Amino acid sequence: MYQYSDKDKQIVRNRTKEFLSQVKRRIDGNLTEEEFKPLRLMNGLYLQLHAYMLRVAIPYGELSHIQLNKLAEISEKYDKGYGHFTTRQNIQFNWPKLEDVPKILNELAGVEMHAIQTSGNCIRNISCDHLAGINNEEVEDPRPWCEIIRKWSTFHPEFSYLPRKFKIAVIASETDRAAMKVHDIGLKLVKKRNQIGFEVYVGGGQGRSPFIAKKINNFVKKRDLLNYLEAILSIYNEMGRRDNIYKARIKILINELGAEKLKSLIESKFKKFADKKLLLEEDEIKKIKNYFKLPINDPIKSSIPVKKNKEYNIWLNQNVIKHKLAGYSIIMVSLKHYNQPPGDATAEQMKTLSIIAKQYSYGEIRVTHEQNLVLPHIKNSDLFSVWNKLRALKLATPNIGLITDTICCPGMDYCALATARSIPISQKISQHFKDQSIQDKIGNIKIKISGCINACGHHHVGNIGILGLDRNGEESYQISLGGSADEKTSIGKIVGPSFSEKELIKAIQTIIKTFERNKKNNEDFLSVFNRVGIDPFKKDLYDKSNP
Amino acid sequence: MAKKLKGDSFFLSANDLKTGSVVYYNGDDWSEKVYKAKKINRSEIEEHEHIAKKFEDECIIISPIFVELNDDGTIKKLRDIIRKNGTTF
Amino acid sequence: MTKVILNKNKVLKNEYFFVDDLTNLTKSNSGNLIVTLSQWLDNKKTLSKKKNIGIQLNSDESLSLIEEEISFFEMIQFNFLTFKDGRPFSEAKKLRIEFQYIGEVRASGHILPDQYIFLLRCGFNSVEIESKQKKFWLECLKMGMGLYYQP
Ligand code: HEM
Ligand code: SF4
Repeated sequence: MYQYSDKDKQIVRNRTKEFLSQVKRRIDGNLTEEEFKPLRLMNGLYLQLHAYMLRVAIPYGELSHIQLNKLAEISEKYDKGYGHFTTRQNIQFNWPKLEDVPKILNELAGVEMHAIQTSGNCIRNISCDHLAGINNEEVEDPRPWCEIIRKWSTFHPEFSYLPRKFKIAVIASETDRAAMKVHDIGLKLVKKRNQIGFEVYVGGGQGRSPFIAKKINNFVKKRDLLNYLEAILSIYNEMGRRDNIYKARIKILINELGAEKLKSLIESKFKKFADKKLLLEEDEIKKIKNYFKLPINDPIKSSIPVKKNKEYNIWLNQNVIKHKLAGYSIIMVSLKHYNQPPGDATAEQMKTLSIIAKQYSYGEIRVTHEQNLVLPHIKNSDLFSVWNKLRALKLATPNIGLITDTICCPGMDYCALATARSIPISQKISQHFKDQSIQDKIGNIKIKISGCINACGHHHVGNIGILGLDRNGEESYQISLGGSADEKTSIGKIVGPSFSEKELIKAIQTIIKTFERNKKNNEDFLSVFNRVGIDPFKKDLYDKSNP
Repeated sequence: MAKKLKGDSFFLSANDLKTGSVVYYNGDDWSEKVYKAKKINRSEIEEHEHIAKKFEDECIIISPIFVELNDDGTIKKLRDIIRKNGTTF
Repeated sequence: MTKVILNKNKVLKNEYFFVDDLTNLTKSNSGNLIVTLSQWLDNKKTLSKKKNIGIQLNSDESLSLIEEEISFFEMIQFNFLTFKDGRPFSEAKKLRIEFQYIGEVRASGHILPDQYIFLLRCGFNSVEIESKQKKFWLECLKMGMGLYYQP
């Protein structure tokens, strides 16, 4: 795992001090709210319905057991004893006091964490594949690249007051586990003619107008990466729209200019400062890569304990993945227990998980964009013990990838922008489908729920997307079908008029029935949808003459 | 702030600057106790906008809003009910 | 409100002055003339004969409008309409890298002390601020010196 250099430490400490001074100036009246807001946002501090909310960065979704334990402590000391893991691999605390935030940041700094650039119109936390470094498929580990980009983008003098927020994701496999194509920039490490470099995708995004990123370069050399990113950001900073916040993202710029035009502007900018300051030298890259060496090097002989326990076997089947080194496994820790808001973890869960990680997973934990956690390096022979411990914490729900593994934003229960609630919807879905045999029969399916058009819950790219709306004071839910956030990214199609909160579960049931009726062999939901299209679903949902 | 407001009576609410807690205007200052909240008529909105602004400028509150009330004095909108009662799950 | 110029950590008096009416320039004005973009565009011919001229661009006015004449100006001032408008950061960098501009680049208008280091690092040399704020600006400068990742 990455470890802070002295400079990193100093930078984070300094920022904490700076924020303390900003909070003081705000409380004393030397900063207006208008001036303070962008400053607090750059430190991850929002105002929600009932309280402030602090979003803490988990760079590329990687945590040490010490850090996880600290998050648990913070949630107990300054919050209400839980935290919420987000789709951008961060964690949010829902109830901190403004006066306490500098103290929280100080505690975070002590474990090499911060809330820098988790919000605001700047380059946000870099997303990454949660299986980086431990799967067999990738051309190389993308995490060092996330760290290189993190450094470059932190307090970037030119890009801290962009037209709008800017999100970057890095992957290194054909399989996309990071929703790369709905980021402002998606980078994919590829191997071409025996050289490794980056495919560059620009202009993806969700929000009120979803777009899939367009590939603008087939191969950017490693050494040129930062100069290339700098060129993209310079063009965006200059040309991105500032007159209308809904049109300010780079997705709009690329669609207004056309991909070719934007590409040529970027390329000519790039030429002007290629070979200049940001060129990455081989030994620099190597230095960063060294931090990301796996804690384990060689395959071992270790087999999975065989037990007659049905629950354990279901879990093994659903939540455990092969590690790239034989003898080890990866455990997906579900944060989707049936009564828990998706992505929430209690202080107790975090604390105990931190101990488990220390004891069994070389101290490492990861966060997925689907709001679950990962124990990345578990010896096969430990699986049964770890399962027992996770189960006691309600962290072994065997539903990874199934219908109750929903992505869900905080919605109107917390969020000041919400038009409807989302957490109770996900809980209803969980309750309704919690029977394991029903879930297994339905198979892989992704339900994603947002409480408003901003799409933090990724509804556009859900196989079933649910968007909460306000219809004359009543909560109402629009359903879209066929979205996907993987390597075949697609935006879901709206199926028709929205449903009341009461009708919604029935509608989901109907959709599942339609799917099952059309399903051939082992097809999953998305394959069926792509084969039969939206009409059979529409018909079953809205055609009243249909039995 | 008063744009698009419907109904005839309201509470004036906000978040406490230092703690973020939901607070209501009770005629002199702000408190978390909703039962102390002052009922404001439509005709008094403008006056209370100024009051809110004054407390904002004094760094007491942020994000003031008018909470719409039903005829029986209960809070009308789900969002405002959640602000008062907390999360619903 | 009295304003001063900060040049890195030096506090200076502003030696540039604006006039509303360019035809009314008298010898009694001491210092250098700075013109707005529209004054420049309307009076290019006469102004190009003068020396030590500065120009002010608002943060929403593009540098490309004076691209041909950049080296003519002694000073280019970006006036931030709001501190959230980050375009001048890119424009300043462009002046230095793409146009190899060596004159003074100054920031004025709605800017925050928290932005001082960013401004300097993008190629600005000076800022125009309220005199009473200068202490805080200098503190911000001291606090953040050297603490950044980019070259
Ligand atoms: C509760 C406070 C939150 C606020 C005020 C908020 C605000 C927003 C806004 C305004 C957008 C739309 C941006 C645009 O279209 O330009 C957005 C998008 C997004 N947010 Fe949030 N959000 C919040 C919480 C979350 C949470 C909890 C998550 C993760 C679960 C999240 C992840 C995202 C993602 C992934 C997007 C879409 C990506 C994109 O911007 O293209 N946000 N958010
Ligand atoms: S989607 Fe809307 S309701 Fe949900 S967190 Fe984002 S802004 Fe809030």
